[in-house]
Amino acid sequence: MSATTPAQARRMGPSGRDYGYANARVRGMRSRLLSQAFFDELMTVHDIAAVIQHIMPTEYGPDVEGRILHGRNAAQIDEALKDNMVRTFRKVYAFSNDEARDLLTVLLGRWDLFNLKTIIRGKHLNLDAAEIIDSLITVGQLSSVDAEELARQQGVKGVVDTLATWGLPFAVPLRDALPGYNEASDLSLLELALDRYYYGWASARLASRRENARAARTFLGVQVDTMNLLTCLRLLNSNLEPSEAARFFVPGGLRVSESLFMELAAMSDVDEVFNRLKRTPYGRLLEDVAVKFIEKGSISVFERALEDFLFRRAYSTGKGDPLGIGVVISYLWAKANEVTNLRIVIKGVSVGMPADRMREELIVV
Amino acid sequence: MIKNRLAKVVFGSTFLATLMIPAIAIAEEAAEEAAEDWRVGVAKAVAAGAAMSFSALSAGYAQARIGAAGAGALAERPEVGTNIIVLQALPEIIVLLGFVIAFMIGAA
Repeated sequence: MSATTPAQARRMGPSGRDYGYANARVRGMRSRLLSQAFFDELMTVHDIAAVIQHIMPTEYGPDVEGRILHGRNAAQIDEALKDNMVRTFRKVYAFSNDEARDLLTVLLGRWDLFNLKTIIRGKHLNLDAAEIIDSLITVGQLSSVDAEELARQQGVKGVVDTLATWGLPFAVPLRDALPGYNEASDLSLLELALDRYYYGWASARLASRRENARAARTFLGVQVDTMNLLTCLRLLNSNLEPSEAARFFVPGGLRVSESLFMELAAMSDVDEVFNRLKRTPYGRLLEDVAVKFIEKGSISVFERALEDFLFRRAYSTGKGDPLGIGVVISYLWAKANEVTNLRIVIKGVSVGMPADRMREELIVV
Repeated sequence: MIKNRLAKVVFGSTFLATLMIPAIAIAEEAAEEAAEDWRVGVAKAVAAGAAMSFSALSAGYAQARIGAAGAGALAERPEVGTNIIVLQALPEIIVLLGFVIAFMIGAA
């Protein structure tokens, strides 16, 4: 019997850039994503017991089965959905090839960023550790044990110090922004520092001429663009000085450059923004929801439209090279979207929300 | 007398040499043909071998890719096993075609 070295034990999946195995497996997993008809049916049920009954025969069954031992309520199903998502993401990461793992490490860093921001927000608002832990989705490099340990720290400084002790790169921007935060108690300083650090690092890591790295960089660029556009829309009528507005710009975007960002941020009307973005893919998108924005008067309309756009872009990434990273990206984002939609429906059912209202909230790609 | 004998030997030798020239030419021609047959045989063998080996390598490459993807698909959807076996066997046609071409080269 041959001995297996620790390195071999760690790496059993395909190596190099062979996407055949991983993509075929991902396509198999994709075929088990829930259909629109399933959601339509789920929205018509009246209680959590019926929801559980509907979910049990699906991919989420084993996770729900484990969780309902602690209680047959919406919170436990929510946890089960998150468990399933984390398990699925880790499974895909485990059987991916070396190149795909590198690219996924960068792209899934988005969830590390999300988790860190959630922890810091929780600490800023003096929330209980259990409440913060409930909101975490540990699909990135940060394990659930690490994230929970961070959530248990005393205050924002405790979180930053722990990150620095562990030698995690996110500690660097947080440590730099911490004096400003302590002075003004302004959470956006820390969040902005994290955003700028992550997207800058991710863009640099994806700066390769290889086709798969290019596809991943394009998708990352769209993420940055949507974030910058949302910031611009929030800054409308804020009368900020250009230098102050530039502080909110996150580099690494595809179409929204720093100059365009400054131009948009200086505008006073949404119509001006539409006109300026007319020749970009975002112009049409924002124009489509303009009426809804006028009706509601809330910037969340644009937030939702940009989120939809991002999911659609993720989905279309998989339509390119059948033996490329796009198939994996498309599946992972579709899975995240499915979990989000299920959580919306379950929360809706538990509070007795009408089906039409729930349907409005779903992101259908 | 001696002169006569010498003349006879020279004449006889010349006569014999004259007779042997076409025979030598015929023998040389035959030897060249034999050499040509040997080269053709080697060329045929090399061509048949190349047809067979390249087709086998191509089929092997195709089967490796299909096998990897098939294993991935089977891991998630065991019900597609029969389809995977059919797809896995398809590149064998490439080897069969290579074999037929090799056979035709050998028989030509």
